[in-house]
Amino acid sequence: MIFAQIFDTINNGLLVIDREMTVKYWNRWMAMHSGIAADEIVGTSLFSYFPELDQPHFRRNCKSVLQFGNFCYFSQRLHKYLFPMSAPGSLADSFDHMQQSCSMGPLRNKDNKVEMLYISVQDVTEVVSYQKKLVIMNHTDQLTGVYNRNYMEPHLVKEIERCRRYDHNMSLLMIDVDLFKIINDNYGHPCGDYALKTICERITSNIRKSDSLIRYGGDEFCIIMPETSEKDAYKVAETIRKSISDHPFTFADMTFNTTISIGVATLDQSTDDVESMLKKADEALYSAKQSGRNSVT
Amino acid sequence: MLKSLLIVDDSPVARMIIKKCLPAEHGLQIYEAGNGQEGVEQYRTHNPDLTLMDLTMPIMNGFEAVEHIRGLDPEAVIIVSTADIQEKVIQRVKDLGALYTMKKPPSKKSLTEALERGAEAFAQVQK
Amino acid sequence: MNAAAEEVFSSEEKDILQEVMNIAFGQATAELAEVIDIFVILSVPNIKVVKGRDLPGYFINEMDGSSVVNLIEQNFLGKFSGQAMLIFPSGAEKELIKLFNQENAEGTYDVDIDTLEQETLIEVGNILIGACIGKITELLSDFVTYDPPRLVVQDLAESSPSHFPVDEDSFAISIRTVFRFEQQNVEGYLFLITKQRSIKWLKKALQSFLESFM
Repeated sequence: MIFAQIFDTINNGLLVIDREMTVKYWNRWMAMHSGIAADEIVGTSLFSYFPELDQPHFRRNCKSVLQFGNFCYFSQRLHKYLFPMSAPGSLADSFDHMQQSCSMGPLRNKDNKVEMLYISVQDVTEVVSYQKKLVIMNHTDQLTGVYNRNYMEPHLVKEIERCRRYDHNMSLLMIDVDLFKIINDNYGHPCGDYALKTICERITSNIRKSDSLIRYGGDEFCIIMPETSEKDAYKVAETIRKSISDHPFTFADMTFNTTISIGVATLDQSTDDVESMLKKADEALYSAKQSGRNSVT
Repeated sequence: MLKSLLIVDDSPVARMIIKKCLPAEHGLQIYEAGNGQEGVEQYRTHNPDLTLMDLTMPIMNGFEAVEHIRGLDPEAVIIVSTADIQEKVIQRVKDLGALYTMKKPPSKKSLTEALERGAEAFAQVQK
Repeated sequence: MNAAAEEVFSSEEKDILQEVMNIAFGQATAELAEVIDIFVILSVPNIKVVKGRDLPGYFINEMDGSSVVNLIEQNFLGKFSGQAMLIFPSGAEKELIKLFNQENAEGTYDVDIDTLEQETLIEVGNILIGACIGKITELLSDFVTYDPPRLVVQDLAESSPSHFPVDEDSFAISIRTVFRFEQQNVEGYLFLITKQRSIKWLKKALQSFLESFM
């Protein structure tokens, strides 16, 4: 009596299936979130309502529970969900489906033989949503909204590895704002912040979605450009340079001009890891500065 | 009727369990061996009517022992007793000339069946 | 079995324990193959009694020196209670994916390869552990529940006795098997470490097992 009430009132999906995959019990949580009433599904095959579950992987886990009496787990990390349902409330905007953590275990008869198995379904959408936000926060520069250095290193390692494996082009731009300190000194820090934000906006509108802009340090930026030859990278760098130097900046009622210098490095025989790529881009940037700033090297 | 039985198993408990599961007043002369090699020697010495053979044993395993004994006596009646009753184990044992494979642990029922089928096979050979 | 076992088990108990484990692991091998198409070979289980404080050293010894490993640990709770530890050499996950997740390789799952490898290790581990413990407890008329398995990449040389579910002064029974997947050249170790309070029950259960044949 008490347990029957718990079965229907607990804030978890619970269902019981027999050895033939016929649904025996289906709690209210499952009914509410799947839109399938218990009296519809009980007595029919689970796979008739959820054909996507009929896969070797799911069947293997069911068999092991029925045979060995062990428990199986379907993590959100791998599966995202077992039962397609919509995410609750406002989370539905960012998730196509409710994210679920599911487990499965044996139910025994009087002789201790495993006769049926239960599946429990836990809604973890909210937790996953927080995790996603944390990951984004951890990879984002607070001021400009572009990627930060936490993001750069592992991303660069992966891109270099991928482009080397498939023998594809890849370039890296290192960007420094010329005489940025003077903007801060002359117009104040809020204006310096504005300049950095505007520079990022102008750069972003001149690169592809597959390129990633990273705030490397105070006024230093870096762009990882997959599938980009040295020639193409140079072209993009020129466009970016002009987008900064050719249009004045306006903050409050102050108008000023600024310029950037860019160093270009491209993946090749001698430049084939993170360290050598960064070093080459840095050296190129240094010569751009030496040659009088507002230039690409 | 069977008169003698050779039990080959490295585990003294396994041999004890087999003896416990034999029908009461079976009247069999029982010989025991603790590995395949001893099993072959015991077979050579006593020429038992039926042999129960474990598979996983040190020094000489059950597969080799079945092969050796069938080499000595192509009409030897051997039943294999193992927990690992995979299809391919059963087939391999059959190909080596064993009568059939029984599942471990044994029970009164499975040993009664073993004695019956063993006796049948032994009678065939005697003809 | 080793010298410390003398303090805990009579020689008859040791024989029964060994035979129960032989049968359990043999049945697990057969049923894994027949029921879920995993062709795995389990070696004859090696049973030792180890003091809690000696466990870390014992593992390193048993692992032939390779101490950095993928470790899947899972607690089990019943009258037979303890911790299962499944140990794969690092790198095994790449082989296991070929064996286990063909359907996933076709892009069923929208996850990166690291996640897929880790989850595959956990799934294989969960089933192997469940099969072995399931068969042992079935023979001894017990049944157990489990924690979800956890995957840790660990240097065994740095593990401390507190890692294990056994007091430093208590005895643990270690049941070790080497398993090998037939189609892929992957080997690993499975250790079942039982708590001291299971030993008392185990001694009784072993006697009952034997008596069930009378």
